[in-house]
Amino acid sequence: MDQQILNAIFIGSIYALFAVGYTLVFGVLDILNLAHSAVFMLGAALTYSLVINHGQSFLVACIIGVAASGLMGLVIEHVCLRPLRRRRAPPIAALISTVGLALIIVAAIEQGQRGTLFGWLWVDGANSVAFPPGTIPNPTWHIGDLTLEASKVAVIPISVALMLALGYVIRYTQVGRALRAVAENPRAARLMGLDVDRMISLTVVISSALGGVAGILFGVALGDISPYIGRDNVEVRGLAVIVLGGMGSIPGAVVGGYLLGLIEVFAVVALGSGARGGVAFAALFLMLVLRPQGLFGAQLREKI
Amino acid sequence: MKRLHLVAWLAAALLVAACGSTPGGGTSNANSYSGKTIKLGAILSITGAGGVYGPQSRDGANLAVKQINASGGVNGAQITLTINDDASDKAQSAQVAQKLIQSEQDLALLGPTLSNSAVAVHPLAESLKTPILAVSTTGIHIVPDCNFPATTPCKYVFRDSLGEETAIPTNIKSYATDKHPATGVLLVAQDDKFSSDGGKIVQDTVGQYNINLLKTIKFNKAEADLSPYVTQAVQAKPDVIFITSLGGIPAKIMTEARKQGWQGQFLGGNGFNTATVSKQAGADGKGARSASAWYLGNTFASNKEFVDAYKAEYSKDPDQFAAQGYTAIKVLADAAKRANLTFSDLAGDRDKLRTAMESVNIQTPLGPFQFTSTHDVKQTVWVIAMDGAGGFTLVHEVKQS
Repeated sequence: MDQQILNAIFIGSIYALFAVGYTLVFGVLDILNLAHSAVFMLGAALTYSLVINHGQSFLVACIIGVAASGLMGLVIEHVCLRPLRRRRAPPIAALISTVGLALIIVAAIEQGQRGTLFGWLWVDGANSVAFPPGTIPNPTWHIGDLTLEASKVAVIPISVALMLALGYVIRYTQVGRALRAVAENPRAARLMGLDVDRMISLTVVISSALGGVAGILFGVALGDISPYIGRDNVEVRGLAVIVLGGMGSIPGAVVGGYLLGLIEVFAVVALGSGARGGVAFAALFLMLVLRPQGLFGAQLREKI
Repeated sequence: MKRLHLVAWLAAALLVAACGSTPGGGTSNANSYSGKTIKLGAILSITGAGGVYGPQSRDGANLAVKQINASGGVNGAQITLTINDDASDKAQSAQVAQKLIQSEQDLALLGPTLSNSAVAVHPLAESLKTPILAVSTTGIHIVPDCNFPATTPCKYVFRDSLGEETAIPTNIKSYATDKHPATGVLLVAQDDKFSSDGGKIVQDTVGQYNINLLKTIKFNKAEADLSPYVTQAVQAKPDVIFITSLGGIPAKIMTEARKQGWQGQFLGGNGFNTATVSKQAGADGKGARSASAWYLGNTFASNKEFVDAYKAEYSKDPDQFAAQGYTAIKVLADAAKRANLTFSDLAGDRDKLRTAMESVNIQTPLGPFQFTSTHDVKQTVWVIAMDGAGGFTLVHEVKQS
């Protein structure tokens, strides 16, 4: 059982980090950025490709991978969000445009076969890949019945540190105050002299960079990188997390992430493997019925 | 007297010529397909979950085509083989099959790679009366009952791959005889035909060898985080973990279980039998056993020739999937040679080829090859173990009975 709690915390950290980026954009823009799961995958795939196809060290690959994920945030803003915002399109239009971009990113990685435009992005014909042993030092410790694997243990402090840093920036810095102002009332923020578009760009970039980090951690810790990791593993679960935690609330996303990890693992243990998805979403449904604003929805009137 | 001799010689010569022109009779038939093309199409999983198997089938089949064409083709006809990726997707597999049969007008098909796709593709080929030879599908109800639950034998569906109904029990029996394990846990991907079929076979077999199956743990193949399942298996402390799954999953399970400190024996099915999986598992997979339709070092006459040619062509060792792909082309070529194809009546040619396939009797890397009356293979089974470095070592050779 103890090992199962650890399993839950490891996967929960990744859910939390992914969902923090998700909820950040929702808090500021009231839009679900469904390209977030594709950015998550891009971070992992690009880092893998840089190490395997282009001989970069893991650290350099990570930095480029995260930077590219952040830049993808700019693409999301300039291609999917800003043009629609200018035309005062309804939020559903932005939702669809981000879904479209997600499909394009996944298809680009999928096409990564030798000789194609995207050949540098992916490994020819590979479905799911993992970093070869030895790329990253990965000692494993056994304490009693528990197995602690460095690549999984590392997920926890990295996720927590990034989430704390984000929380600090938002709460205590000038930029954070500006972000919160835009989230509260973009029109008033603009009248106060804030560059709203720039703030929004910044939000999407930070969110995407966090998504990229989550993707890399996922790929390393679970030894599974494929064009579909975003779609299959975090896209819908990320939604569940932010609903559990309260839409747009960062502490909510963190708590929701760990909660979903725990619920899923306990569903596997108590009810068997088929229950994993079902129980998690039953919990989500229960939350929507009993407390539609989510765990942190009421205490925090203000957004993000 | 001289005249009588001459007449006798003429009569003898005529008789030889007449014999020569009967089907399958001899050499005078050799150029009757000259200038023609035998169009074959393969539906393989080059990408997706089956992407660890399909490329090897492709390479094996392409090698056989190259060899046959270089040595004069099939009675003078050249073989063309198109490789079509189904992305391991059932629907796409069926679409590709439809295209190859109806628009491309291929004489016969190979594939598909996965049993999961075969349940869509094989009934289609059967209904369109096109011979199809499965090269790697090992699930239940592939031959002869391709339209399961209907039990009418499918006339156009053949396979040269060893079914799990033979392979898994052979493997379990051999390990039980060697080590007498008392307990086991089964990890099975429930959302894939090949894997869930394998799981059923394990459940049905273990009792015969006094192995107590403590737990059956099901998961979905798209799940990346398998650790809760592996933890459950490890906590049951079994002697053996059975894995029936495909693609990279067996290797991931092995790695995770070893990390969690489990020291027991992995037993599996056809999903283990490719170098790609052995390589992915690395040292964690060392000793993992499965029953294979082929072994690199087997001493069948045509195996060495195949292995040497494959190495020369691709600079790597072939695996079971390559051997089965290679064998499939040899089987189709032999059938085509004896089928008296017309090259004008496609439906008639497909029927003739189908009939000729039933009487194939050739030497292949898999051993002497004949289809059974149910269009299946009957062959030596090789119990092999991963060597920890991307290859396999031979544990037992189990001759066909």
